[in-house]
Amino acid sequence: MIHKFDVVIVGAGGAGLRAAVEIPKEYSCAVISKVFPTRSHTGTAQGGVCAALSNEEDDSWLNHAFDTVKGSDYLGDQDAIEIMCQDAPRAIIELEHMGMPFSRTPEGKIAQRKFGGHTKPENPNDPNSKRIPVKRACYSADRTGHVMLQTLYETCIKNQVNFFSEYFLTDLIIEDNTCKGVTALDIATSDIHVFHAKCVMFATGGYGRVYRITSNAHVGTGDGCALAYQAGLPLEDMEFYQFHPTGLWRLGILVSEAARGEGGILRNNKNEPIMEVYAPIVKDLAPRDMVSRAIISEIRAGRGILGSDGTYYINLDLTHLGKEVIDEKIPEITGFARTYLGVEPTKESVPIQPTAHYAMGGIPTNYDTEVLADHKGNTVKGFYAAGECACVSVHGANRLGTNSLLDLVVFGRRGGKKIAEFLKTADYTDFDSDPKERANSTLARLLNQAGNEKTSAIRRELQENMMEKCGIFRNEADLKQMKSIIKQLKQKYNNITVQDKGKVFNTDLLETIELANLLDIAEAINDSALNRTESRGAHDREDFPARDDKNWMKHTFIRKSSDGEETKIAYKKVVKTRFEPMERKY
Amino acid sequence: MIERNFKIWRGNSKGGDFVNYKISIDEGMVVLDALKLIQADQANDLGLRWNCKAGKCGSCSMEINGKPKLACMDRVTDYKEDSQITVRPVKTFPVIKDLVTDLSWNYEQNKRIPPFKPKPRENGAKYRMQQEDVDRVQEFRKCIECYLCQNVCHILRDQEKKNKFVGPRFMIRLASLEMHPLDTEDRIPAIKNEYGSGYCNITKCCTEVCPESIKITDNGIIPIKERVVDRFYDPVLKLFRVFSGSKK
Ligand SMILES: Cc1cc2nc3c(=O)[nH]c(=O)nc-3n(C[C@H](O)[C@H](O)[C@H](O)COP(=O)(O)OP(=O)(O)OC[C@H]3O[C@@H](n4cnc5c(N)ncnc54)[C@H](O)[C@@H]3O)c2cc1C
Ligand code: SF4
Ligand code: SF4
Ligand code: FES
Repeated sequence: MIHKFDVVIVGAGGAGLRAAVEIPKEYSCAVISKVFPTRSHTGTAQGGVCAALSNEEDDSWLNHAFDTVKGSDYLGDQDAIEIMCQDAPRAIIELEHMGMPFSRTPEGKIAQRKFGGHTKPENPNDPNSKRIPVKRACYSADRTGHVMLQTLYETCIKNQVNFFSEYFLTDLIIEDNTCKGVTALDIATSDIHVFHAKCVMFATGGYGRVYRITSNAHVGTGDGCALAYQAGLPLEDMEFYQFHPTGLWRLGILVSEAARGEGGILRNNKNEPIMEVYAPIVKDLAPRDMVSRAIISEIRAGRGILGSDGTYYINLDLTHLGKEVIDEKIPEITGFARTYLGVEPTKESVPIQPTAHYAMGGIPTNYDTEVLADHKGNTVKGFYAAGECACVSVHGANRLGTNSLLDLVVFGRRGGKKIAEFLKTADYTDFDSDPKERANSTLARLLNQAGNEKTSAIRRELQENMMEKCGIFRNEADLKQMKSIIKQLKQKYNNITVQDKGKVFNTDLLETIELANLLDIAEAINDSALNRTESRGAHDREDFPARDDKNWMKHTFIRKSSDGEETKIAYKKVVKTRFEPMERKY
Repeated sequence: MIERNFKIWRGNSKGGDFVNYKISIDEGMVVLDALKLIQADQANDLGLRWNCKAGKCGSCSMEINGKPKLACMDRVTDYKEDSQITVRPVKTFPVIKDLVTDLSWNYEQNKRIPPFKPKPRENGAKYRMQQEDVDRVQEFRKCIECYLCQNVCHILRDQEKKNKFVGPRFMIRLASLEMHPLDTEDRIPAIKNEYGSGYCNITKCCTEVCPESIKITDNGIIPIKERVVDRFYDPVLKLFRVFSGSKK
């Protein structure tokens, strides 16, 4: 079946839906998602969305921008960061106007709370004075992302957006540097649908599933990024992947930062509070990358706690908080710990380990979400990207908590506006080759290939190795080894037999396609990491422990070589406006 | 490692039957883990929806030993060791394949509901709202659209009435709009005439199964019915009040 839409948005998380809301009614707009829109990953975000509203105390967008730049370890593009932080208060008020029920202060304003890395100068007249935490995160109880997603979805329904739910993106069609549409598979029937469009936006989210321990849902396989990469486009800053320090041991399910915010303490096998050593001042409230490194360092030094399956963890001690605080302030953690680990947090510590959480890297775009064709800033006609799958870059080498939800609504909207402008003069461009045929032949190949390999086994091998060799700590030897492992796994991939040959809800087939995407994402992360011989933000090279501003204030642009066998890397300078790099100390 | 017996309904829209599987499970596994294990080792073509594995996305609704539940929040070890665990798709909606059902009817109901219509802002000023007024809306917003409440509601199980009553999920959706401090739309006549509030006879089965512990009936449906009564008349609510002795 062939559909024609002025614009096709792939992904129905916060970014995709916010963009869809912005498309004027006179244009036809389709949103494709492999899960029902409200089941998208945005729905799991709990913490909040930040803006310098100054509702609870004095604050300014410049404070917010300073924190974001510093948090990014000076790799974020400062022009884009300024746009985001300046636009944030408007974006929050707009969500409220759409009906999002933010929690309130006693005077009835939108309430705000503290969140890691968000600060202001102690003396408002002296920007260089000591920085103290500031209440900047707006929230809707502990459901901020969920409520935001529902609100945006309902606004889309109101605007009569066409949803194609449980449609799986299979191809991105770019010919002569012009994006002409996509193909997608209807999961209920396995039919291929061609979406012929004047322009396409990707808002396909992150790729935490490339690691074994992740807070990301099943769908987080980086399909959008992988398809762009397979189409010959570059990916930016892939080496920067954020690990959240507190994932439930073995499962990766997120234990919110609020647990430490309320006073939770990380302890090793001697019951010592570990953060006293690694961050004596802020201790357990240090930024995510630092706490994650501290946990792994403790485990490596033999001070982890041995679990029943032979792996190690660190304890998150909440027992001293008392039942009341635990039940009232962080009720979910109790539910998770009980259900999944059989642990009672009021009486015993919760076993945790760092969990793969957020992709700073992705499809490179300018601050109007136009996708970049190269490191020189040329764009691909009619192709846009926003949200976690994109790299603007506002998060640089390390994202601050609550800045992602903000990124979604600010750049989702900017993308929608840019698309509306583009559509005023744009037209459909004919396909050079039949996209349906191409998609069907890929599927037929996958369904017909036969060998002894299994999707789940290859995926597990990839995820476990990525965790170990290309995770929190990296070094040349490990990364080189990982490179050859990925090569081998790609070979093995051709010997997978898809057992399920059926047409209806064939998850076996879908997971096999996703695995191809994960392998490409892993390749891009690993090769980018191998090339960057410094440590910055989430990228920690044991063999190059210092940040090197002289050589590395630049973004990685990695792409496949023309034969697809190797990768090619180029670099693009970081944009600086007003913030000079300083040491990142907390 | 403990061996466990599972009985899983396999089939499609035309019919199907239970199939037995035996697997070894680890301590701490939830039913969803067990199903994924069966899918990986014994039944690659087992139809199954899941996403977050953390009770947050509402994808994995099914009936486990006859009880509507989220498979990802249901510990296998909570069932007796020698017992068999029976898993089948939710009953109220048509089966697509195995445990996957066609939920599109629900999304159609959502589209019928008049959207949020905020009162105008006074020359750009920020809105003021009290937390106690927002509490209810936030409670209803916890809904993850697992549709377990829709599944147990006996009105919806009766196919004939499906086009007369939107079901508990959408009653609280309506309630969240009606109780929103900024909303100005009037949906009360439609709640009675189009969405069928009168069909609900307050059995509270929906509230019992809600994994988000939303007080669907007490906080959502009953207050909405009361607003309908203030304007029209609802025999069920009247009877309910007589028997439960509730005031107002
Ligand atoms: C547990 C957790 C808690 C978090 N908490 C916070 C927080 O408090 N504050 C904050 O700012 N950030 C938080 N984050 C980060 C933030 O939630 C995400 O970065 C953000 O939601 C991503 O949104 P998105 O719109 O880019 O994509 P997503 O919401 O991930 O949506 C991706 C969409 O793309 C679709 N898609 C993907 N692949 C395909 C395909 N092949 N075919 C069709 N459709 C496809 C999916 O169906 C989905 O609709 C959290 C993240 C996690 C994991
Ligand atoms: S209380 Fe009403 S809506 Fe809920 S299950 Fe009973 S009849 Fe259905
Ligand atoms: S109200 Fe509760 S049971 Fe019903 S769909 Fe929402 S979360 Fe599920
Ligand atoms: S998998 Fe998301 S609720 Fe069960």
